[in-house]
Amino acid sequence: MSAFDTTRRYPTREPVDFVIVGSGAAGGVLARELSQAGFDVVVLEQGPYRMASDFGHDEVKNMMLGDLTSHPGWADPQSFRYDPTETAVVGNGGLPPALYARTVGGSSVHFSGNYWRMRPLDFKERSLLGPMSGTGFADWPLTYEELEPYYTKAEYEIGVSGTPGPFDAPRSRPFPMPPMPVKSSGVLLEKGALAMGWHPQPAPMAILSQPYRGRPPCSHCGFCIGFGCEMNAKSSTLVTMIPEALATGRCEIRPLSTVYRIETGSRGRVEEVLYVDADGQQQAQKARAVVLAANGAETPRLLLMSDGPDHPDGLSNGSGLVGKYLMGNGHSFIHGYFEHELNDWKSIQVTRIVHDFYATDPQRGFYGGGGMDGRPLVNSMPVLHAMTESGANPPRWGAQFKRDVRHGFNRHMGILSSTTSVPVERNNITLDPSAKDAIGRPLVRMTYRDHDDDLAMMQFLQDRGNEILDAAGAQRIWREPVEPQTAHAHLLGTCRMGTDPARSVVDPYHRSHEVENLFICDGSSMVSSGRGQPTLTIQALAFRAAEHIGQAARQGEI
Amino acid sequence: MSNFSEPKTDGIEDDMRREFLKAAGLVAGGALAGWPFSKIALAAQHAHEQQQTQAPLAHITATQALTLGAMADQIYPQDDTPGARSLGAVYFMDFAAGSFMAGAWPMIEAGMVDLNERAGRTFGKPFHDLDFATQTRMLEEIELTPFFGSVHFLTLMGCFSLPKYGGNIDQAGWAQIGFESRHAWQPPFGYYDALYDEEAFS
Repeated sequence: MSAFDTTRRYPTREPVDFVIVGSGAAGGVLARELSQAGFDVVVLEQGPYRMASDFGHDEVKNMMLGDLTSHPGWADPQSFRYDPTETAVVGNGGLPPALYARTVGGSSVHFSGNYWRMRPLDFKERSLLGPMSGTGFADWPLTYEELEPYYTKAEYEIGVSGTPGPFDAPRSRPFPMPPMPVKSSGVLLEKGALAMGWHPQPAPMAILSQPYRGRPPCSHCGFCIGFGCEMNAKSSTLVTMIPEALATGRCEIRPLSTVYRIETGSRGRVEEVLYVDADGQQQAQKARAVVLAANGAETPRLLLMSDGPDHPDGLSNGSGLVGKYLMGNGHSFIHGYFEHELNDWKSIQVTRIVHDFYATDPQRGFYGGGGMDGRPLVNSMPVLHAMTESGANPPRWGAQFKRDVRHGFNRHMGILSSTTSVPVERNNITLDPSAKDAIGRPLVRMTYRDHDDDLAMMQFLQDRGNEILDAAGAQRIWREPVEPQTAHAHLLGTCRMGTDPARSVVDPYHRSHEVENLFICDGSSMVSSGRGQPTLTIQALAFRAAEHIGQAARQGEI
Repeated sequence: MSNFSEPKTDGIEDDMRREFLKAAGLVAGGALAGWPFSKIALAAQHAHEQQQTQAPLAHITATQALTLGAMADQIYPQDDTPGARSLGAVYFMDFAAGSFMAGAWPMIEAGMVDLNERAGRTFGKPFHDLDFATQTRMLEEIELTPFFGSVHFLTLMGCFSLPKYGGNIDQAGWAQIGFESRHAWQPPFGYYDALYDEEAFS
């Protein structure tokens, strides 16, 4: 870990304009926008301040031991159950159910860079399709057209490579950079999809195909998914927004600062943020306003922990919806081996995608849509490749197993499908009633079972993936079974936005319906799940939120 | 032995491996034991030095090393290339026993005791002295146990993780699968993109 010399240090006992909890996809954008607008900003991040020089190719460290995804100072496990009738348990083979990176820049540091816009239909699917009984299926309080300028802003400020596809929503500016060089997995996805009569397109990626704003293009090292970028070519907030926030002289990034409570005062306003610092000491940072951008699991956890006499069910939770309607996107995966070497372990994960099944088609008999991409997934890494080839129970071993491991590493590709998630109330984040972490916080408890329509969509796209691999000439094809998921890297919907305070947690500009100087802006704000790559939408929302929050602050309306 | 699509059974270690395999659009990053990485790095350094100097193992006895080495060579055998034992898998296991697998190590030791007792009772020799085919039959009887699952998991990590953890000596495991750790590559990356007509989307 290297220290970054932020020039500005704010005292904790004097209120700053904004405390932002979380420095990830949304928090990094908010920090940059609000500090550039002239406000004093303190960002509290529970992870350390890692830089490019701290990242490498260590599969044991990153994937097996969860260096980026674990708290560096203490154990902070999470519990999981499929259904509310079960007792949640910590387990899952050590894989956190809510999987996110604890580091400055958050999960934008370790994500794969898939950077899809949503489409107009994603914002108004409830109106287009009608109600779904027993669910929280709803329209957004804003349209694609309202968000489009912020999609464009995010693409240019963050740095994105791509070119429009045939089904893309209208855009006001072209992509800032051409697509990344195609890989063999992209070529084969394209070949198979074209043979099926579909419309493959280059993948939009938040990874640089050319030098951009002082950063170098991708060097194709291959350690991308789950890793921090050692070249600064992946457009995380760590290397885009946060240095620009620090350059204003009005932003302090405070790493290793784990927030455990938001304290309100006599007028019901948020007054200070309580956290444990790098030395394990309790601290309190006073603030004029607070922005929560801690992700769709930690944001509701913090609100639920911040209860008080006049808000016994948690802060900003009069609707009872804090933590509810969790959406993780559905995923299914299918493997193929080809005759010649793909070497798909080189370069980025994804270079071609298929969006022919994006919209809901009533003829399929269930709600949902999704996208497909060609990629190695975890088979890009030697140990995980061998483990994937070994299967599960019982594991494969012996001479034939070794032949397959050796033959397959260079000849493998997979097709990952990402789908909608129906928002249902029983899928949620709550506080674990019995287990606590090492600093006394109740554990994140996830209750989640994919809706039947989500599972049907996952299966539908896996079948289409099989057709693509077959049409592309795969010699051996095998599937990961489609089953209810137990871990989620997309943490969406748990503080949904809306105009009705009884049916949403924040207003259309991310202000709490109940606490006038509290804002919530991250994946939790999303009303529907999109089709599986939410980062761009989260960041576009953050640019839009920052503009409105800044205006309100200047006009004395916070 | 069987293939991928067989029904699942319960077992902590099986679940652990299954989660790595879920391939659900997720990175597999999960802390196995909540060890801070600074301690892990120290343990790795020890294992690497032992492997370099052929020093005695720190957490595994000489007899245990024979058992684990024989099991590793069953799981990832020698063919025209070295098997897991020659790749250094036992040095990796020594590192694991002293760090992130310390909690599970008593279970693994008990598994080794049981395996050798059965070998002694049935064949009058310790497991590692049995012929290859007999070893295979004995392991087929326990391939659903957490003991076998853990040694399987550690064997693969020992063959293919960074040499600094003790295994994959001289990157020989990587050489067997055609992997090379570099900081930069240039397109074309593979056979199919080398033939691709870039005009379509430029």
